[in-house]
Amino acid sequence: MITLKNVSCKMSGKQILDGITATFNKGEIWGIIGPPGCGKSMLMKLICGLYPVTDGDLYIESENIAGMSEVRLVPVRRKIGMLFQNNALFDFMNVWENVAFPLSRMNSGLSPEEIRLKAFERLKAVGLGGSEEKMPSELSGGMRKRVGVARAIITEPPVIIYDEPTAGLDPVTTSKIYDLLNEIQSRSQSVVLTISSDIIGLRSFVKNILFINEGKILYCGPEQEIDHCTDPVVYQFLRGLDEGPL
Amino acid sequence: MYNLIAKIGEGALNLCHETGGLLHLLFMVIKSLFPPRFDPGEFLRNLYKMGVKSVPIIILTAFFTGGIMVIQASVFVKRFGATSLVGWGAGYAVFREVGPILLGLMFSGRVGSNNTAELGTMVVTEQIDGLKALGIDPMQYLIVPRVLSMIIMLFLLTIIGDVIAIVGAALFGILIADVSFAAFWTSFSQNVHVADVVHGLIKAGVFGFIVSLTSCYAGMTVRGGAVGVGRAVNNAVVTAALGIVISDYFLTYSLS
Repeated sequence: MITLKNVSCKMSGKQILDGITATFNKGEIWGIIGPPGCGKSMLMKLICGLYPVTDGDLYIESENIAGMSEVRLVPVRRKIGMLFQNNALFDFMNVWENVAFPLSRMNSGLSPEEIRLKAFERLKAVGLGGSEEKMPSELSGGMRKRVGVARAIITEPPVIIYDEPTAGLDPVTTSKIYDLLNEIQSRSQSVVLTISSDIIGLRSFVKNILFINEGKILYCGPEQEIDHCTDPVVYQFLRGLDEGPL
Repeated sequence: MYNLIAKIGEGALNLCHETGGLLHLLFMVIKSLFPPRFDPGEFLRNLYKMGVKSVPIIILTAFFTGGIMVIQASVFVKRFGATSLVGWGAGYAVFREVGPILLGLMFSGRVGSNNTAELGTMVVTEQIDGLKALGIDPMQYLIVPRVLSMIIMLFLLTIIGDVIAIVGAALFGILIADVSFAAFWTSFSQNVHVADVVHGLIKAGVFGFIVSLTSCYAGMTVRGGAVGVGRAVNNAVVTAALGIVISDYFLTYSLS
């Protein structure tokens, strides 16, 4: 589904990602973790085609997007639903317009009324029935996250990326958001890639983990086995120790 | 000495970088126009937001601008009894110079700065990345409709402003300079020509283009959160004002 072969990315002469090789298959849920500034968000933006791959190959389904032009990237990007770290809701649109926006921009074959109804239905599914006409600025952090989730999934994309889906949320809302993501995943069978600093919450949701540090993979495998990883950085990070290489 | 040379070099490099960025943006806008590839809904929304909502402030500015022309002239009009020149003087100055330049600066302050702040906020809150991730080209969805709207609307607002300024001048002429409406109108209609109006409207189109390009560029290149947005708005307004004044000099020189 998504294959990265020796992917590297440089920005302003600085190596952000270095030789990343990984495969994410249909129906898998991956957690991408690592210390701040390790390249997690950049990896997600490379997969979305928002930044160019400097070296290596990046396949979305069977298409290599490395070096692909902006015009050719458009249909590839439509296969991906992304929840951004700070939601990236369009503040000049109300809640339902934000959610309906991806559908209204693609040739979905739906009438404007059908699109509106689908947006309302998705908002109800994420627990935001009744907030359709509100502006993003009128919503709490948790509600904005839910709108972001509803927008990311409305086109039922084969790849869903969640960048910090629970950042800044209280434990109860965090738990609700992960329940919601689980429910969506069980229905859609998409590839889900999730970045989160909330390791405990994330581990309850994902089945596999990719650990990145300084642009390199330190661990890539099942979630249950990461505790046995002997890499000192992974060991220190997972246990939150003061002593160690970080 | 070394520091001075380094600063001059840095300044020159920055200037080249910004000029290159503006030219690149211009190229991308032109590319999106042939054939036209921009969002019609956004275009209409911006026409309304940037143009229709600017009408009250433009009317106010233009009305008093016309009045100021007459107040400044009234001393000499009374001293020399030159009432037959008031209509011509007001019309000539407003249509060719004061109208487009004042309305251009007002438009830059109201619409240009707002545009930079809006685009800049969209950049720092990842809304631009959000658009790209949805397979939408920000150039076609955001930039081209705004550039076109600003050019068209400043042009149209200048026409409205010109009319209001003349009304203001005539009214202040009657109230302050003891110039009858008939005298004002005769002086105006006999001496002010279509060429004077066209001269000002060409300037308005160019000023709209300058405000649109500088404000979009400043917004799309914001770095560094809220502080960066503030800095970008400041840069956009200053650059647009400079652009308006400098281009006015060259336009006046070449059109006269």
